[in-house]
Amino acid sequence: MGQSLAAPAVARATTARSAGSQNPAPRPRRNWAHTRASGFALILVLLALWEASSRLGWVQGQSWPPFSAVLVAAWRGTLGGELSLPLLSTIGRMLAGYAIGCSLGVALGLLLGANRWIRWIVLPVVEMIRPIPIPAIVPPLILFLGIDDALKVFVVALASFFPALINTMAGVLGVDDVLLQTARTFRVGWSRTVLRVVLPATLPAIASGLRVAIGLALVVTVVAEMIAGSAGIGYYIVQMQYALRPDAMYAAVLCLAVTGYVLNRLFLIGEARLMPWMGRG
Amino acid sequence: MLNRRSLLQTGAALAVAGPARGAELERVRVSIIPINDVTPLFVAIERGFFRNEGLLVDTSPSAGGATGIPGLVAGSYDIAYGNVVSTLLAAQQGIELRVIAPGTKIQEARNDHSAIVVRRESGIRSGKDLEGKVVGVNTRNNVIWLYARAWIKATGGNPDRVTYKEIPHPQMEDAIRQKQVDAGYMVVPYVTLATAKPEFEKIAHPYSAVQLGVDVGQYLATASFVQSKPETVAKFVRALRRGIEWYNANLTNPDLLPIISGFTKIEVPLLKTLTLPPAPLVVEPAQMERTTQLMIEHRLLRKPVDVKALVAPMAL
Repeated sequence: MGQSLAAPAVARATTARSAGSQNPAPRPRRNWAHTRASGFALILVLLALWEASSRLGWVQGQSWPPFSAVLVAAWRGTLGGELSLPLLSTIGRMLAGYAIGCSLGVALGLLLGANRWIRWIVLPVVEMIRPIPIPAIVPPLILFLGIDDALKVFVVALASFFPALINTMAGVLGVDDVLLQTARTFRVGWSRTVLRVVLPATLPAIASGLRVAIGLALVVTVVAEMIAGSAGIGYYIVQMQYALRPDAMYAAVLCLAVTGYVLNRLFLIGEARLMPWMGRG
Repeated sequence: MLNRRSLLQTGAALAVAGPARGAELERVRVSIIPINDVTPLFVAIERGFFRNEGLLVDTSPSAGGATGIPGLVAGSYDIAYGNVVSTLLAAQQGIELRVIAPGTKIQEARNDHSAIVVRRESGIRSGKDLEGKVVGVNTRNNVIWLYARAWIKATGGNPDRVTYKEIPHPQMEDAIRQKQVDAGYMVVPYVTLATAKPEFEKIAHPYSAVQLGVDVGQYLATASFVQSKPETVAKFVRALRRGIEWYNANLTNPDLLPIISGFTKIEVPLLKTLTLPPAPLVVEPAQMERTTQLMIEHRLLRKPVDVKALVAPMAL
């Protein structure tokens, strides 16, 4: 991952250097192809196809509005609060569940990685529960947790818990034995070894677990909102579907796409700040 | 079961503690489906009928409608609007529910707007024609599915030789157009929009064809809620009846449209194209018993449900 990111950076640096000295002509084209702009260009082409398919009647259907109508609905919904307020409440629930699930996941992951006996006892249970699809357990959970925030925060926490746990545990198991032996040589205690040796060495693995979890958390929050209760962007999407307002429905989907993208970028920025040694190959 | 009960008791205890903190109005949480069937409830809210009874009604829409009864049992709601088939299924499973007020009833054939819709050129006319074909219903094993099957049987078809495909109401029109289904059982407002287009055609109104007078939907509460707070339930039903009376007297009143738009989010110009059916003032247990019979016939129920015990006296 880090290596694949590093490669274009090297190419970019080389291009810039050579262009500065002798051959300025090909620089903009090669640069453009190597930047994120090329990815956005594909998005623009796809959106133009969407617009054309609706305007020119390639796709017949009452639930296929042109993209421009979706943009208008997104703009109105964001300004009027009809869309932005549910989105904010969704993000709030998501972050609450994510924080709870990840904290527990990392804590238990450290424990499982550090102790073989606990791992043997707990891991089968984890492997049994982990593959259960969240939408399948929402209806029975309603009986115990109701249909409001408690239910949603719980399922988001559950969904975030497993990637955090599994990655943390794998990270602990992958810690260089030399580090542990060194700690043992210096007679560092168990808890201090976990905190000062194992945890820092495991941070990259934890970070990748947390990043997987944040993508899942958003999806699970929205799915839970679509199934139960009447709050958040998930409910808004279903409501607009039933109200025959597909433009507003797709506007909400668009907002979710942007939210997911922004969350991922923010995560990467935070990761680069807090763990500057990561992503350097 | 113990868990559910203790949850309910906690919920009831919290509800009792609520008004004591100085609030004048007693809060009642009602789960609804955002369709025209619950308009009288919103009329009663907008016109202050609940407030006059000392109630503050808090509605909680569930677009799919699947969470009403589980939410009641969990204590998230005090009252839920639900369809008759879900209610009877829950009763058979031993969930102690009570029907406390009427919701939707097909009193006259001309007020039955839900319909089985086909492509005009398909040539499908009867249940017999549907054998080996695919029919779209919003949910299998539920009220729409039951009456679609009953209609297929009544018009010479074998309902077991028809495939039922789950399609959400708003997507039914597209599913019929794109031939994912050969026919779709559509409800208001989607049926009105679809059949205004020349390529679609209604071939039947299963509710009125199979069982004129069917009680399609009702308001429910748990038996323990009805027992522990009979006053609250009585106030709710009284105010709701005033809402129903106002609604029935004002079916063509343009003041109704913003109320409906408020909870369905359907825009007013679209609502203007719809014809609103009158709402019932009472529940008819005999009609619910006929539904029970149909459910046994189509293997949704194993044995009859005691409808008389299910319907609370105030709903009659």
